[in-house]
Amino acid sequence: MMNLLQARGASLKALFLVALSIAIMVVDHRFHQLEIVRTNISLALTPLRYLVSLPATGGSWLSDWVTSHSELIAENEALRSEGRILNARLQKLEILVEENARLRSLLGSSRKISDDVIVAELLSVAQSPYRQLIEINKGSSDGVEIGYAVIDDFGVMGQVVHVNPQSASIILISDPEHAIPVQFVRSGTRSVAFGRGSTSQLELRYLPATADIQIGDELVTSGLGDRFPPDYPVARVTEIDEDRVRGFVTVFAEPRARLDSSREVLVIKPRQ
Amino acid sequence: MPPLKYLTIYLSLLVALILMILPLPDGVQLYRPNWVALALIYWSMALPKRVGLWFAFFTGIFLDTSQGTLLGQHTLALVVVVFLNMNFYQRIRVLVLPQQAVYVFVLLLINQGLVAWVEGILGRPTPLLGYFGAPLVGMLIWPWVFVVLRDVRRKAALS
Repeated sequence: MMNLLQARGASLKALFLVALSIAIMVVDHRFHQLEIVRTNISLALTPLRYLVSLPATGGSWLSDWVTSHSELIAENEALRSEGRILNARLQKLEILVEENARLRSLLGSSRKISDDVIVAELLSVAQSPYRQLIEINKGSSDGVEIGYAVIDDFGVMGQVVHVNPQSASIILISDPEHAIPVQFVRSGTRSVAFGRGSTSQLELRYLPATADIQIGDELVTSGLGDRFPPDYPVARVTEIDEDRVRGFVTVFAEPRARLDSSREVLVIKPRQ
Repeated sequence: MPPLKYLTIYLSLLVALILMILPLPDGVQLYRPNWVALALIYWSMALPKRVGLWFAFFTGIFLDTSQGTLLGQHTLALVVVVFLNMNFYQRIRVLVLPQQAVYVFVLLLINQGLVAWVEGILGRPTPLLGYFGAPLVGMLIWPWVFVVLRDVRRKAALS
């Protein structure tokens, strides 16, 4: 009898907790009251995230430390020559920037040329076919805010979706829930690139069959939607899938950013 | 006030949580076993009085936060798994490890199914491989998880 009562008590408790979980899910999905709970627990978990990034950080530190003298000289030489090339390019760029600013002022446009950035490092990743998030080590105390765009040295990575004081969550452009407004550099066609849950592919749906698209075309942010600053590289077209029946074209593109291997990222503050 | 020795349980779950957010390459991601569920199944089997439904609930909240999933998603799945385990553990404890592993596979599949079910409701269908891959790996490593956690439990003199 006692056992039976205990068993019923456990069932009731389980039922209650299941109902509670469902209630929490609904509240979390529909409203934002639980954001504070999430922030606090996330804060408590921050040391774990640092711990997780430790092997990679330690590994690169170790490899820095044991690099031999000759390798260092070679690397130094290579970097120096790269620096020279970059400097040469920069001179050209500076002239262009000046010219651009002059032309813009002629046109009466007030857009700023350069963006403010915050340099951050990757702490941890939570990637699955239906969720592509990364965690970085800069948060609201460093000026990061929800909606800021995040890039690496090759292209756009994603945007900030959640901010803690010392860290922030980034949704990658490859997340199935993420879409980014893009523009083809060659033809100027505008479209939207959806994530597919894989870090190596984005999808552009329902382009007109007559659109001028070729494999290898570059995609940049179009700046529409006011989330991503314009003209940052996003992806390169790898596959064009024509649906002759419906008259649409689906385009697949490979992200330029190294979504699964970049460790240093830049958070871009939007232009005022 | 729980004695200090129960810290072992929390520590093992912390390690499981770390294993869940450890960066893995893209292809292997699908096969990452649910370490937290495995640890929770072990502890609720070994110390059912200690590790019960509330324990599963709070572990789930932590897992949800670290995974960035909806708050309550893993929570629901873990509560159901621990509840099922509470009803069966006496029969399962006496089985040999390979047989236990099959039982654990079923529990992990239920866990995975519930998480994927919520994802489905949110409009994010799970690929078939993602459905079976992780529980299968979980089943294969269960004997090792069991042996390691049992040794940990004995060292900490928990019973």
